Amino acid sequence: MPSTVVIRRVIKPALFVACALPLLSVVLAAFGIGGASLGANPVERIQDTFGQWGLRFLCITLAVTPVRDWLNMPWLVQLRRMLGLYAFFYVLMHFLTWLILDQGFYWSGILKDIGERPFITIGFTALLLLVPLAITSTNKMMRRLGKRWKSLHRLIYPICLLAVWHYYWQVKADTTEPLIYLAIVLVLLGWRAWKTRSGRASVVAAREPS
Amino acid sequence: MVIPWAGIPLADVLKKFKPTSKAKYVAFKTVLRPEEMPGQRSRSLDWPYVEGLRIDEAMHPLSLLAVGLYGKTLPNQNGAPLRLITPWKYGFKGIKSIVEIRFTEKQPPTTWNISAPHEYGFYANVNPNVDHPRWSQARERKIGAGIFGSRVPTLMFNGYEKEVASLYKGMDLKKFY
Repeated sequence: MPSTVVIRRVIKPALFVACALPLLSVVLAAFGIGGASLGANPVERIQDTFGQWGLRFLCITLAVTPVRDWLNMPWLVQLRRMLGLYAFFYVLMHFLTWLILDQGFYWSGILKDIGERPFITIGFTALLLLVPLAITSTNKMMRRLGKRWKSLHRLIYPICLLAVWHYYWQVKADTTEPLIYLAIVLVLLGWRAWKTRSGRASVVAAREPS
Repeated sequence: MVIPWAGIPLADVLKKFKPTSKAKYVAFKTVLRPEEMPGQRSRSLDWPYVEGLRIDEAMHPLSLLAVGLYGKTLPNQNGAPLRLITPWKYGFKGIKSIVEIRFTEKQPPTTWNISAPHEYGFYANVNPNVDHPRWSQARERKIGAGIFGSRVPTLMFNGYEKEVASLYKGMDLKKFY
């Protein structure tokens, strides 16, 4: 298990930089650096890139707990806040790209879309639900909320499902990718459900002489 | 953006075959070569791609059989060697790499309509007043407008209202989408 110092001074900063690479790739492509380009439909490309990475970071954040158990690396949980906040960041950027670059602050269209287009309503709901999670991500908030913090942060489960559903509903024909994400989310949630149910049984089994 | 297609009026080609009054529609089919075209190996749509037009739409001067683009021969990805262009309709009506054209009495099947009948209709005329069930069609992003070109209002019949509106006089375009 890496020491606290290594986690704090090496692993976390490295992770911070790694998580920023998708943002960097968008910026580089926007300026045509290194031959990268945003293509013929740049606003859509930016919006899609941020949306994809928001969904990926949501899944990665959801995967921390199972992975730390499977690999027996309890210290991984110390990286979860950064991953969750990056998920919020990319989801927020996805939304702001839509609001500013795509809709151009055209409020009547924006409100109509959020109110009348189910896939946008679902996406917007997922974003709204992420806000209290982001706000209560600090150490101070964790102490203030105590036991309630864990209950509040279980919102990540419906958020991940809403995010996948939002993605699935905006696809025109090829539903392969959203369905893959759905499978991933269901496995990660299913593992938790299975662990809760058999939690007591495995504790008893561990105490028995083998 | 406005695309400079080069081609032959579809009407000129169709008239050579002297269609009778029983020819109410024109049906098109694309090439089927999954061993060469990886996209056709997936089941996202029912291949080969099929499309159709009403006979008066097909005979309209704006309906083009494109053979070129930007002064060059039509590239493969744009539907070589022959591609249908109907500029007042949504792009999916522009069937590519046409291998078969038929006159039919009944309305022919069209691929996107087969895939999602309540989302894509036979006519597919650009219409800001008729929404796709999942999203609005009222505003569109102009290709080439760049990062800061936000959406603008969609034009009825994609700006060709004067030229084609008469084809649909009296038709409920919400029903015949």
